Amino acid sequence: MLDPYQLTLHSLTLKQLATAEQLAEVTGQDLAELEAGLEKAVAAGEVMAAKGKYMITPKGREVLDGVYPQAFTALRGTADVTDAMNAFETGVNKQVLSLTTDWQTKEIGGERVPNDHADADYDGKILDKLSRVVDKTAKVLAPVIALDPLVDRFLDRIRDALTRAEGGETDYVSGVRVDSVHTVWFQMHEHLLRMTGRERPE
Amino acid sequence: MSTAVSAQAPPAASGSFRWLIVPDDPAVEPSRDLVGGKAWSLWRMRSLGLRVPPAFVVTTEACAAYFAGGEQLPDGLADELAAGIRLLEQQLARTFGGGERPLLVSVRSGAAISMPGMMDTILDLGCTDEVERALAAETGDPAFAAEVHRRFSCFYGRLVLGCTEELDELPDTAAVRAAILEDTGESVPTDPWEQLRGAVAAVFASSRSRRSVAYRKHYGIPDDLGTAVTVQAMVFGNLDDDSGTGVLFSRSPVTGAREPYGEYLPRGQGEDVVSGRVTPKPLEHLKDTHPAVYDELIAAADRLDREGADAQDIEFTVQRGELFLLQSRPAKRTARAAVRIAVALVDEGAITPAQAVRRVTAEQIRTLLRPTLTEGAADGAELLASGTSACPGVATGLAVATPEEAQTTPNAILVRRSTSPDDVHGMIAAAAVVTEQGGTTSHAAVVSRALDTACVVGCGAGTVDRLVGRIVTVDATGGKVYAGELPTSAATEASDDDLRRLAEWATAQAPIQVLAPGADAPGPVFDADELPPDELGEELPEIPAGTKTVRGAVFTTPEGVRAALRSGVAAIVAEHRLPVLLAAIEHSGGTS
Repeated sequence: MLDPYQLTLHSLTLKQLATAEQLAEVTGQDLAELEAGLEKAVAAGEVMAAKGKYMITPKGREVLDGVYPQAFTALRGTADVTDAMNAFETGVNKQVLSLTTDWQTKEIGGERVPNDHADADYDGKILDKLSRVVDKTAKVLAPVIALDPLVDRFLDRIRDALTRAEGGETDYVSGVRVDSVHTVWFQMHEHLLRMTGRERPE
Repeated sequence: MSTAVSAQAPPAASGSFRWLIVPDDPAVEPSRDLVGGKAWSLWRMRSLGLRVPPAFVVTTEACAAYFAGGEQLPDGLADELAAGIRLLEQQLARTFGGGERPLLVSVRSGAAISMPGMMDTILDLGCTDEVERALAAETGDPAFAAEVHRRFSCFYGRLVLGCTEELDELPDTAAVRAAILEDTGESVPTDPWEQLRGAVAAVFASSRSRRSVAYRKHYGIPDDLGTAVTVQAMVFGNLDDDSGTGVLFSRSPVTGAREPYGEYLPRGQGEDVVSGRVTPKPLEHLKDTHPAVYDELIAAADRLDREGADAQDIEFTVQRGELFLLQSRPAKRTARAAVRIAVALVDEGAITPAQAVRRVTAEQIRTLLRPTLTEGAADGAELLASGTSACPGVATGLAVATPEEAQTTPNAILVRRSTSPDDVHGMIAAAAVVTEQGGTTSHAAVVSRALDTACVVGCGAGTVDRLVGRIVTVDATGGKVYAGELPTSAATEASDDDLRRLAEWATAQAPIQVLAPGADAPGPVFDADELPPDELGEELPEIPAGTKTVRGAVFTTPEGVRAALRSGVAAIVAEHRLPVLLAAIEHSGGTS
């Protein structure tokens, strides 16, 4: 497990140039605790601050690289976790990426064109599938979640994004500037890779 | 024009049910609250004199009773389901659950307001081992009958029994049944009536699924709004040489021209098209072999196009020479077709200019106005890299290796081995993105498409070293990167008659002024492009209070337009006005 300070530092590898509020949304930490951590990290040269936004420095990254192996010894030594991660990478992760692509583009008269979101049925089917894949992800990652509850938080945030997309806020599937399904999924993926010490495939 | 041959269903029956409605009387419009939107559309088609497969609806009142009674089908519903099925049997001379000519039905959910999370359609319900044998004998196609049975088992396992394993890939019914039992501990009923009751209950239950409840909570929709269930007879396109199935667009989905466009599969069933067992023929085949059916179909398409005041996508089946319309809905279309159809509908008097500007999205106009390499420009140019197009477009600029450089270099081309969330701030700033690794679903591809930034992925090892430090032109449409600056060309709002007219109409409708660069803009002006790079994060910049005009690339995106409207500014400056106008209209709400 990461201690609160390390968790704050770690959150900056999941979201760049973020405010304290945004980081608290990622980690679920108490804002005051998180701000205190940021202040300490800036003093230590592990984080840079500019106009209320924070960025991790190369020194901060080194600190984390040193911390991960001990913090996640249990996780890294569990065969169930390795199996779960293998299943995650080859299964649900590929499905989410391919569904995101289907969301952004569709085929018309043999041409692949941007999805204009005028076809509610087309969009609805993709949201249905995404929802099923998210539910399945919770099952696939159960051994990881048992050791790291933060993964559950990511899944909840992905479900929140899906709900908004279902209500017609179409940028909540793949939009970059909002906590879309894809944005949060990638945060979760990065978090999983860092915990388990694996390399990003592709 | 076709006639509603099956409209002679027993009229007395319609009035005698407690939980069912039979939407077969053109003169009696059913309540959408009771039957849901999909069943209402069926009734609408029938009232236009078009032939649809017979159906009945279990009402939303039955759904309410289901929950009031502790998630049990209300008293009398089972008997009424049987009576409803008898009506379908009589009209088609088929028998549910057996006989020489078996009746299969589809079961689908439908609420007055469409809601996510509710159960998808189950097709081919009523299939059993005995029915499979009868179907094989009737169609002379045992493989088809086996496929129907297998597909039905997949539907039932996934939607009613909640099986989460992948079933669609399994080879036969036995394998599907085994997988369902293994995953859920339950079996697909072998009694067709039990299948029907199970499916109806599952549709009801799905209206209170976690997703449905979350959706209603988020949007403040009352929680007691249940769903109706439509039970409709399946028709068969594979019975003889006078049968088939197909799809028809009332206008070309590629160009928007008012000419029918479609495909027809003689002796085919929906399953065949879905599974890719056979390749359909152009619609002309139906015209050559069955001219009367073709004429009836074209007349129906015209009628639906006119009634819907929009291009229609129509699914149909011909059963023993008789045309059945299965579904009609607004057709999908390319950006070019969307513009042509919207303007044509105004000229035909079908819609108003105010409606037309809601038929075309900002995204579609951006696609049309996107520059491309001038023809012949790439001839003789030095090709530096080639890969897969992930998001089309053309951009020229200095190739850089890090997101930080991309932020400080105007028109940077960001070249990475691959990208991760760490790179997003650089991708936002870059004019184009090029990667060595990854395909069309990689992080770089998904983020670039979300940003509408030109992107080529999978250019191979060594691309970063080859490109960085040079001025390059990325032709993301063709998936190529060339040395130097190559000439481009693009359509403009002024050069295209349809676009010019849409822009006029949109200017009159938009809740905000959109000015071309160089036009007189009311001050104070806030220019996001002049912000120092360290203030450009992944979020939108804050618009200072009192600002009258905003400019900068970010304010031409949907999020940017939304932020400008919320802050109450009077004007947005944009090189292409139409997409910004349309985004503003879209955001300001209202219906078409």
